[in-house]
Amino acid sequence: MKLNFVHVHLLLNHVPTVGTIIALGLLMLALVKKSQELKRASLALFFAIALVSLPTYMTGYSAQKAIKDRPGVSSSLIEQHQSAALLALIFMEATGVVAWFGLWQARKPSAAAGWNAPVVLLLSAVTIGLMAAAANIGGEISHPEIMSAGEAPGGTLAPAALTSASISHFQFAHPWAWPTLETLHFIGLSLLFGIVLAGNLRILGFMKNAPFVDVHRLLPWGVWGFVLNSVTGMMFFAGASGQYIENPAFHLKVIFMLLAGANVLYLTWFDEVWALGPGANAPLSAKLVAASQVFLWIGVIYFGRMLPYIGNAF
Amino acid sequence: MDAYFEWLQGLRLSMWIAESESIWAFPFVLFLHSAGMGVSAGSAFVIALRLLGLAGPVPVSSLRVLFKIFWAGFFLNLVTGSILFAAHATITGHIPIYYAKLTLILAGMLLSVPIRGFVDGEASDSVIPASIRTLAGVSLVVWIGVIATGRLIAYAQ
Repeated sequence: MKLNFVHVHLLLNHVPTVGTIIALGLLMLALVKKSQELKRASLALFFAIALVSLPTYMTGYSAQKAIKDRPGVSSSLIEQHQSAALLALIFMEATGVVAWFGLWQARKPSAAAGWNAPVVLLLSAVTIGLMAAAANIGGEISHPEIMSAGEAPGGTLAPAALTSASISHFQFAHPWAWPTLETLHFIGLSLLFGIVLAGNLRILGFMKNAPFVDVHRLLPWGVWGFVLNSVTGMMFFAGASGQYIENPAFHLKVIFMLLAGANVLYLTWFDEVWALGPGANAPLSAKLVAASQVFLWIGVIYFGRMLPYIGNAF
Repeated sequence: MDAYFEWLQGLRLSMWIAESESIWAFPFVLFLHSAGMGVSAGSAFVIALRLLGLAGPVPVSSLRVLFKIFWAGFFLNLVTGSILFAAHATITGHIPIYYAKLTLILAGMLLSVPIRGFVDGEASDSVIPASIRTLAGVSLVVWIGVIATGRLIAYAQ
């Protein structure tokens, strides 16, 4: 059977809505119970949902392509769903980044900042509202029966600039836009990959006079590189989705990226590398994770660079 | 100069890179060049950010290995970059931004000498002098410039 991205969309699209509600409940419970363990679990869950939300959004374009010409399917409803989903995605990713910072701070020798949990709480509450709005319009596309009699379909708070059409139009109207985004994407790549190298080389046994807690302080720069590349990458994708949704190199790039992202949670759950003082050797399991992290990011670069050659991107 | 570019472009390797449909020709060399960029510019970024005081307390002396990694990426890109240039020498050789990139690479290499001198020195884990911070800041900007000019060569043709 050929992998059908419409199925993937229908499978994943409940995760951001339902998952965020569960993670928010967990976070509130953690704050009431003053449990650091529960708080870490909820932040990791937010991070994981933020990762899953990326393919949820992207597979929506495959679903759109599959059903847009069917009778009874409103293309304006699909567009409303898409821009509502993009707004929700932006808030979801912001929640994921702030949640990651909470996990990162929890590993610092000094106490974690007090602002993190309230910010995650607020962002995720907004995200839930936006996800619900996007999901509601999405449901109306193929289930008109959920609308009450006389109710107008759709309706979204998303600004008009947040549609694929306007992003695409902007890129075509301004010839400098695409090269600028590409340049930023490559700067972000180098920043992210430099941090990936430095952090994992310590675990692999280089830079051994540095304690791991110090190396760990480099990691936010890697996250800034990742944020820069997510933003520029989503602008490529939303502006020219036709280049990507049926491009096998792109599918593999996203899969490698999600695995590399999930790999980051290793540093949250396992304590073995945290005990590494100056000169100490990491256990084999940690070295395998570190090597896989470097391998996965090289894979992301490989499939990214192959987008025009294995697939059809320019 | 044009005769030299034409000779370079007429080499069998250059013609194979430019004309072959194989994924192992132009695409793979381009991938190696991008990966080498991540290795070399990435290591340069980490070193510069640490010396600028923006990357926490990791001991400066522990960054010594990053210079070796930087040079490994650099030589990979010297080789792959030369191959990519040879494949389209008569075009790329007339793009001003390509020469801007070469100039910036030269500046980055020159800057790396005093920076590496400090990091390799015995005083690297004590106070970082203001002059080294300045050089680190300039080197950060220079390597960003190398990436930007390199990326824009593709759009200048």
